[in-house]
Amino acid sequence: MVLATGAANPLLRWSYFVEQWDRIEEAIFQHVQLTLLAVAFGFVISAALAFLGMRYRWTITPITLFAAFLYTIPSVAFFGVLVSYLGLTLLTALIPLTAFTILILVTNILDGFSSVPASVREAADGMGLTPAQRLFTVEVPIAVPYIINGLRIATVTTVGLVTVAAIVGYGGLGRLILDGLRRTFWTPLTIGASLSILLALLFDLLFYALGAWLTPWARRRQAP
Amino acid sequence: MADAVGTTPAGTMMGATAPAATVTWLAQAAVPRDITLAEWFTDPETWTGSNGIVASLGDTLLLVIAVILFSVLVSVPTAALLAHQRRAELASAWVVNIGRAIPTFAIAGLLVPVSLRAGYGFEPWPIFIALTLLTVPPMYLSTYTAVKQVDPAAVNAARAMGFTEREVLLTVELPLALTVIFTGIRVASVQVVATEPIRAFLGGDGLGRYVRDGIGQNNPTLVLGGAILIAVLAGITAVTFVAIEWLAKPPGVRRLAGGRTERTLSARKQLVET
Amino acid sequence: MVLIGPSGCGKTTTLRMINRLIEPTSGRIEIQGEDVTDLPATDLRRGIGYVIQQVGLFPHRTIEANIATVPRTLGWDRSRIRARVEELVEVVGIDREMLARYPDELSGGQQQRVGVARALAADPPVLLMDEPFGAVDPIVRGRLQDELLELQARVHKTIVLVTHDLDEAIKIADKIVLLNVGGALEQYASPDELLREPANAFVESFVGDDRSMRRLTLATVGDLPYERGPVVPIDTPPADARAVLADQRSEWLGVTDGEAFLGWIEGAEVKDGVHLDDLHRFLPAAQVEPSSTLRNAMEVIMNSRTSVAVINDHGRFCGVVTLERIRAGLDSDLSATPEPAG
Repeated sequence: MVLATGAANPLLRWSYFVEQWDRIEEAIFQHVQLTLLAVAFGFVISAALAFLGMRYRWTITPITLFAAFLYTIPSVAFFGVLVSYLGLTLLTALIPLTAFTILILVTNILDGFSSVPASVREAADGMGLTPAQRLFTVEVPIAVPYIINGLRIATVTTVGLVTVAAIVGYGGLGRLILDGLRRTFWTPLTIGASLSILLALLFDLLFYALGAWLTPWARRRQAP
Repeated sequence: MADAVGTTPAGTMMGATAPAATVTWLAQAAVPRDITLAEWFTDPETWTGSNGIVASLGDTLLLVIAVILFSVLVSVPTAALLAHQRRAELASAWVVNIGRAIPTFAIAGLLVPVSLRAGYGFEPWPIFIALTLLTVPPMYLSTYTAVKQVDPAAVNAARAMGFTEREVLLTVELPLALTVIFTGIRVASVQVVATEPIRAFLGGDGLGRYVRDGIGQNNPTLVLGGAILIAVLAGITAVTFVAIEWLAKPPGVRRLAGGRTERTLSARKQLVET
Repeated sequence: MVLIGPSGCGKTTTLRMINRLIEPTSGRIEIQGEDVTDLPATDLRRGIGYVIQQVGLFPHRTIEANIATVPRTLGWDRSRIRARVEELVEVVGIDREMLARYPDELSGGQQQRVGVARALAADPPVLLMDEPFGAVDPIVRGRLQDELLELQARVHKTIVLVTHDLDEAIKIADKIVLLNVGGALEQYASPDELLREPANAFVESFVGDDRSMRRLTLATVGDLPYERGPVVPIDTPPADARAVLADQRSEWLGVTDGEAFLGWIEGAEVKDGVHLDDLHRFLPAAQVEPSSTLRNAMEVIMNSRTSVAVINDHGRFCGVVTLERIRAGLDSDLSATPEPAG
């Protein structure tokens, strides 16, 4: 970061950072909040869709196509359409954010459950586990790495998309970026941009660690 | 270019709290702001003219094509070569991972002052670099995976027949990997087209300008029109690439891939998982 | 009980009807007098052990946790489970230090053993096995089959096993159920009976042309009636020795020291006045143990110059066995369960 001494518009003016800390903090909070909300809702929807897909095999293709379609909608367009109808509300930001997570989450959840070997399922049934027991004590744990991976990608992607959501007023750190661009005042821009990058990387690391922690069996790869 | 920044009344969006802005907007809803959507689209001025759709489309296409071409040139040969030599696998995974995590808008934003200071203005470098950063990781990954997962039997047979390493790569691995590589290029390209509109908020134009201006002027018609344009372009891109992809398959592979080989499936899996 | 038959005969289907992984549409299956459809399926299965070819160990649980699955479901307390796991590990032949490992760290044979331990964990009276040894290489398979027989001898469970390998069936079964395509029952008999008296043309062609040879693997040398053969103690007077030779019409005379077999002497060499001990002895080329199968014995005899094999039980002479005796043995019922190959 260049602290151009004497220049009126440095990349980062520390005094601004300190003075506006409240606003920055609020932006961070909103950013995290939006991200987590979108991923949470997306996860619930995706889990339901995945369940449907597993129960009725034929629904997998239409579901995947639909999710892919949602994902392909350009973010700016999606926000734009909704703002025309809903105005500048939380929903305007949240709906596209949620929609973009669905493809990633559904695909990964489905992959997770399809990774359970048929022999494991059969052995579980043969031992007298009820369908619920089999699902929760066998299938879900095995699917977990995929689910975590899906959450990881979805979350990180959403952090990026939240910055774009600033154009409809709910963008957390993206608002700082936009503000800075509009006023050609670099400090908020630098702060907003770097913090959102950091946030994304932080989430990435967090989920990576979570995944590693939850799957001790994947870590041991030694042959006897 | 500086105009773009100046036209937006400062503080309309940023200063107003969301509820207040909604009220403002709603207050105007009863009276249509300007014209209807149909009228806007059928007005020839909309299309031609310096701020017209054709010009903006041209802007967008220029950037998008430049990014795609550049990314392909950078990522595909590198990935193919490294995959063929079975090198740098871990490093590749990490690079792709990091690249994927970084928010495009943020990077582009950060590059704006840098570009301005260096005398290049708002465009094209910040958005170009940011979009390239967006595109390279998935293209690289899909190419790497595709080449790596080519049927080892075919590769070994070629080697046994005396093909040089270069020949193996060019005449065996690449043709067989082509389907997946193209899928990767397609996915990445559609992503570029879908993300390019943020350029309008970074001091540029392109098709995203209508959404930008619409929001700034509280003009839902303009916003909707712009959104539709962007979405249509993304759709056309997707369809075009699917067509190219289909045509690009070598005939033998076309039959194979039509039935979905194991490798194509798992390669696709890895693509989506990224 | 071993279920065997060609593809499509329904042997696996039948097996899976026992624990109701497939619901029977007609007929009755009873375990210990109770109809299997009386209980809820999951309860039923907790009382039956089930082993499949790919094992199906839970990859996300340690070996110990895998074995403990059913006891945990049944609510056993931890100390009891732990004790049981350690007991089983010893029974099936796994290292205790494997308990903390995960399934993908074990070899195929070890995984299969864990599968068996897991099936036996809650001590069910019945054990179902669906081609359990199909996925391992022949050497390991043979060993696992032997271990299964030893296990059966120890725990005395009713085991119903499905296989497509006739040799496996013959080796381990008490009773064989031979099914034909569509589920038709062709024969239900002990292995020896199946080979000796095939019920019809299908069975005959299924067991193949070499059924007599196969039957020879079912009995051991020790099962045959004792035959001393032309063998005398070393201090026998030559005259008596010659009488034995004449009586048995043998060209060779075997001599013992009362315990161990010492060797063969050419009959022509036996003369009055010459002590047997002074004559040249040939060491027996053909020797078997009481536990050798008749098939082994035949192999050994074929490979030696004599037509007689000496039975040697840890240095003690136990008689002889001849091809004639072996052939005669085929006339009787050889249904005794064979012991594991030494």
